[in-house]
Parts: sequence; structure tokens; C-alpha cells
Amino acid sequence: MLLASVDYTRPATVPEALEALASREGAAPLAGGQSLVNVLKNRVASVELLVDISRLEELRSIEASEGSLEIGACVTYDEIDRSPEIRAGHEIVSRVASHIEDQQIRNRGTIGGNCCLSDPTNNLPPLLIALGATMNIQSGSGLRQVAADEFFRGYFLTAVEPGEILRSISIPALGEGAGAGYSTLSVASDSKAIVRAAALVRGNGTIDEARVALAVVGPVPIRHSGMEEALRGGAATADAAREAAEAIGEDLEPIADAHGSTEYRRQMARVVARRAVDEAIARGGENG
Amino acid sequence: MSDAGMVHPITVTINGERYARTVQARKLLVHFIRDELALKGTHIGCDTGNCGACSIIVNGKLIKSCMMLAVQADGATIETIEGLEAEGELTPVQRAFHEHHGLQCGYCTPGMVMSATYLLRGNPDPSEEEIRRAIRGNICRCTGYVNIVRSVKAAAGAGEPAAADRAEASR
Repeated sequence: MLLASVDYTRPATVPEALEALASREGAAPLAGGQSLVNVLKNRVASVELLVDISRLEELRSIEASEGSLEIGACVTYDEIDRSPEIRAGHEIVSRVASHIEDQQIRNRGTIGGNCCLSDPTNNLPPLLIALGATMNIQSGSGLRQVAADEFFRGYFLTAVEPGEILRSISIPALGEGAGAGYSTLSVASDSKAIVRAAALVRGNGTIDEARVALAVVGPVPIRHSGMEEALRGGAATADAAREAAEAIGEDLEPIADAHGSTEYRRQMARVVARRAVDEAIARGGENG
Repeated sequence: MSDAGMVHPITVTINGERYARTVQARKLLVHFIRDELALKGTHIGCDTGNCGACSIIVNGKLIKSCMMLAVQADGATIETIEGLEAEGELTPVQRAFHEHHGLQCGYCTPGMVMSATYLLRGNPDPSEEEIRRAIRGNICRCTGYVNIVRSVKAAAGAGEPAAADRAEASR
């Protein structure tokens, strides 16, 4: 397919990349390109200058210290899947990355791209919200941090402003007695999601803290405070998870499309949320 | 400056041969390989990153060449289907696809063979599930995948004898 005419530059450093991005309206960062190249083919966005950040070493590292992680924006899904550091402390992050589309896409697509695209069906955003991740955004004037909860702003819209790039994502240590879970209902294995849920549960027998994120129910993933409150202070059991999932009610008004109506998605949101919390409780028990 | 004629010099090594060319930024890697270098073994099925017919190996990683710009491959070492056989000798994967009828029309085959080759490099003895996951990004509209999975298994040395398979496949 013939793409619209576009310029290309491959800066050697992050400051040079930021300068290139600020140099012209219509400049866009290019990482793995597994979404952007199709956007260019479809000519749905007018990109005049591609700033290739995919080879910047500063964006390609995985740092682990005392259980917490910092993953560079240009680390690929396959690298996340295979990273011993990530598998050791945050196995769920590796596992979720390993189910993104297919091997070819996992070899090119990046965690930063997954987040910055802000496609509501994407795999990682609800997990990062449940895990309490922080998004590190770089501009010419410095680094600012945005909680994953606040990062996703709308369909294909994030907290990254023009002239900025997502530099890395920090994921805190799970900590003792904490576990995470993830569940997806999809059209077919590893394909487009109908609804997703991710959960973090902390506590020993009794739940002290619960974070439940739901995705593909609206433009951006959301935390469900009703279910979180229903879990807090209760027993860390499958029964408690089932009951708490009933808190997902009329307050949730999911999008309707060819894959599911509003009511179907609401019901399935209860199912995947319960499964995610069940898994989080089970894993927290192993981590006690 | 945003003239479509603006070109970028790139150098790539494909199947051991070095090519230095200039490309427009908008040129997809698959078009560069097929149209500029006349290596037509890499197929274009969908042009949207779904079908995997254009799968090649870039710097040791399996990718879809319609989802990468040629300019992004600057400096890369690339393997395409043409580079697999050496001196007329098919690789075990190619031989297994032949012996186990792992293709019908053949359109998806170059991508399928590259995906299988990539899988077996990292995992010489894959389970059926691992094989199916490894070719998830490659669509075949003829075979129903059964003989493809059988071919990959055979190439890994884990399949049944080729003759038995042939008899079964021809039924």
C-alpha cells in the first residue's frame, strides 16, 4: 500500500527526539509502529514527520530494584514476556504481554505504544491501573509523573501533550500478601477483547486493599470503586469476590458494539472482575 | 521538505547479500524487498498486518514486513524465504511442509515457513499448543492448519513418520 508522503528522522538521544517532535506540527513519535503504520496506511491522521524513537537505548531498558520495576517505553511485548526480572517480581505483566496478538506483533510492538495509543481494547492499560503504575512523561523541560489512573483520557487520547513523550512506566512492588489477577473475555484466543478486568488484592485472610480495573466498557479503563469497597475489610475468599462483583450494576454503562450489548458487557464485566479478583486472592495467598 | 521525493539512504543485508539503496520514508519494507530487490518470495496478503504472509526475520526477530518501513530496517540483517535453502537443499521445515502437505495454494507458505523456522530456533521441541500459538499471526485459508501443525511437528522431529502422515493426508 502506498502511504501518504512523510518525512523521517532517527534522533540519537531523547533530547534530540523531543526537539524533532517540537520542530513541526504533525510530528509524531514512531516506536514499534504496529498501530501507527496502519494509521499511516489508512491516512486517518496527518503525520508529516516520523520521529523514530525505537532504537533509543534510554527508552529500551528494564530496571528492577527491590521488587519494583521501571520499564522503558520502547521495550517490546516479547521482551516483557521473556524478561527474567519481570517474570520474577511481576509474572502477570509478562503473562499479559505474552497474549498480545501474535509473535510478529510482540516482536515489534512496545509497552509505550500500547499505552500511548489508548485503544480501549488494549491489554496493558487496565493491568497498569490495577498495579498502581506511574507513567513517566518527558518533555524538554523535564520529567513529570502521572498515575496510570489519570493517564488514559479518552479514545486514542492520553496525558502525553504535544512535545512530550512517554519515557518509562514504573510499577511498584506487589509487597507481602498481595496478589494480582487478570481476566479477558475475547472473540477468540488472544484476539480483540469484549471486556477485561485486572485486580490487585492486598491482605492476609482479610482484604486490606483492593484495586479493580475494568476495560473495554468505555473510552478508557476505569477503576470500579463500588466493587473495591465491597471487597475491602471482607474475607479473601472466592465467595466474597462473587458477592463483591454484584456491586457492578447500573452505574456501569458499557459501550455497545458488534461484539456485545451494554447489558451483555455489564454482566461479563462482573464475570471477568470476579475471575481477576479470584486469581489475585489465590496469588496473594502464595505470596503471604 | 515534505516532498514525497525526499529519500533516505539505507543499507541492509538480506540473505547474506548487502544492499545499499535510497528509499522514501513511506516505503514499506515488504515493497522494498519485493519491488526494489525483486525478492518476490515474501508475499503480500492483506497489507494490514493481519495475515502474516509477509513474515520475515529482521535482526533475529520474526516480524511482518508490511508493518515496518524500509527506512526503519537501515543497518538490519534480514532473512527471507529465499535465504533458507542452501545449494538446492531444503531446510527441515521446508522439507516437512512438502512431505506433510503443509500447503495447498501456497500463498501463506513463505510466511508460515518463516514463523515455523523462528519458532524452532527458540524452541526445538514445541508442543502442539506452542506451534498453534507460534503461527497465530499467519492466516491460511486452505489447509485448516492441521497439516501445517503436523509439518512443524515433523520438522521438530516430534511428528509421526512422514509416510504414515502422507497416507492419512491423502485420504
